[in-house]
Amino acid sequence: MSQRKRPSNTRSSSQSKRQSGTAVAQEEDDNTTLTQPSTSQVQRGMEKLTPAQVDQKTAEVVQYFLVKDQKKIPVRRADLVKHVVKEYRTIYPEIMKRAARTFDQVFGLKMIEIDAKNHMYILINKLEPVAGPATLKSPTNPKMGLMFVILSVIFMKGGIVRENLIWSTLKKLRVDPGERHEEFGDVKKVVTDEFVRQRYLEYVRIPHTEPVEHEFRWGQRAEVEVSKTKILEFMGQLHEQDPQSWIQQYREAHSVSGSTQAGSSSQR
Amino acid sequence: MKRAKGGGDEEAPRQNGSAGRRKGEQQQSDGDDGDCDFGAADLQDEDNDPSLRREIRSKYRDLINSVQQNREDMLRPSNNKLTEVLEEANKLFKDVRQAREAALDAQLLVVATDLGKEKASQLFAEGTAFDPTAFAEHLLSFMGLNRLEDGEDEQQNGNAVDGYLPEDAWHRVARRAECCVRAAPSFHYMMGSFHAEPPPPKQKIERQRKAPSKEAKRIMPTQLKRMEGSHQEATEKEVERILGYLKSYYQDDPTSPISYYEFVIDPNSFSRTVENIFHTSFLIRDGLARMHMDNAKLPCIAPVEEGEVEAGGSFSRKQCIVSISPKMWKELIEAFDISDTMIQPSNTQNE
Repeated sequence: MSQRKRPSNTRSSSQSKRQSGTAVAQEEDDNTTLTQPSTSQVQRGMEKLTPAQVDQKTAEVVQYFLVKDQKKIPVRRADLVKHVVKEYRTIYPEIMKRAARTFDQVFGLKMIEIDAKNHMYILINKLEPVAGPATLKSPTNPKMGLMFVILSVIFMKGGIVRENLIWSTLKKLRVDPGERHEEFGDVKKVVTDEFVRQRYLEYVRIPHTEPVEHEFRWGQRAEVEVSKTKILEFMGQLHEQDPQSWIQQYREAHSVSGSTQAGSSSQR
Repeated sequence: MKRAKGGGDEEAPRQNGSAGRRKGEQQQSDGDDGDCDFGAADLQDEDNDPSLRREIRSKYRDLINSVQQNREDMLRPSNNKLTEVLEEANKLFKDVRQAREAALDAQLLVVATDLGKEKASQLFAEGTAFDPTAFAEHLLSFMGLNRLEDGEDEQQNGNAVDGYLPEDAWHRVARRAECCVRAAPSFHYMMGSFHAEPPPPKQKIERQRKAPSKEAKRIMPTQLKRMEGSHQEATEKEVERILGYLKSYYQDDPTSPISYYEFVIDPNSFSRTVENIFHTSFLIRDGLARMHMDNAKLPCIAPVEEGEVEAGGSFSRKQCIVSISPKMWKELIEAFDISDTMIQPSNTQNE
């Protein structure tokens, strides 16, 4: 294994140039059993397989992603390789490249690596959401509303917020983490567990606090999915103010320009 | 002005986990009272009065709790509560004589400084500060809160009193949120997914049905065999029947040859034509009929006289493959002007 690593390291720069769309991470400190095959290994692997086989495996990966995305839980590369790719792991980069292309051209979705260290992927919409009355009468998920409120508060407060602020704000909205909510059930669990697993929020313990306190931040998924500019617009609408009156937040929203990128750290 | 004692009405959690108590109580509820009784060199009454010491410590704890519990309230730029707390702490500090109280004072300072830092960062922010309480108010209106028309004070407790939220309150927010979030739409099969539930009940039904049918078969085996017969027997019957037709036609007019095509073709049904060809081939295979070409080089068929059949056959056997398509069939009908079938279809349609 270690011998194979060295050649792939030397090829790593050319390999990363070849991968388009998904940012496939370098392999130096990879803990997983899959060491990223080099381009020549991929080529050799491709020669042994028929195009139909490669297409079939790509389709399986696409379907795996789509089903996993129903719950909005990120896909781990280790799981993907173990359950879907299996013996085709030698051509893993090629399969991922094709899957990304399928998502892009067929579904209008982007496959993004939100965690380069642990290799986790999510799907987001390539298209901007249409403002105004919803054309599709698809059912809305109230949890999305809850998540949006929390993200808004965190953003307007500069990006990090102590959990008590969130709980007290929610209480004012008749959502009490100590009680069972008729819409959300166990509110605390939804916020600190479900949203965190979906990577909409980060719930981090503040050191040296007694009793233990946590703080909330935006999660990796929120960074790429949620538009800060649009949150400011909503704030302006609610408070009947110009969004630009929140100078710092406005600057923050417009510093990450245009298409949000995975893993970009927002400036505090 | 917020007094420390007043603020401590429902302060439950103390720093060291002891039960909440008011000042001036003589009971010992925490373990740190023991030290006060150790003989120190200076015996100034005030400095070592345990009840006074407890009182000061209790006040400090109240102050700390009030800062922690009412954090958001104190953060609001609209009030000076933090300053009041600090002033209160200053007053208390004058009476501090021992390390334990000073430690509490230091703790209060840490908590207050933390709060002060946050307040300062609020002020430092340019533009409008963000007030979560105001945000919550606006959001409630957005969600369609029906406030009571009396204009009752919202300080009253109970959810139902200060207006109720419509059922779709959070859906409204979610709908608004959709515009701001580039979430991938959830994947669902259009026609629904396949559920594995139906099979178990079906199996039960099948078992029940099998039982009676077995009994039924036991009763009627002989009859069934007679009636249905095997496919082989059906074919044999057909072949015999066709042979019968052939012989009868031949006997009608032994001299004129029977055109093969006229014989097998059924102008009403292509499939019956094919069946006729099939069955006729058996006749020829078994040597019960023979085909020859007439003067016009058209195939003719005639039954073999019984005397002519020779086992082994001195006459040479030739094989040929007959094929026919619907198009050919129509052409033959036209060419031979076949109006009716020579082989009547059998009455029982067993196939």
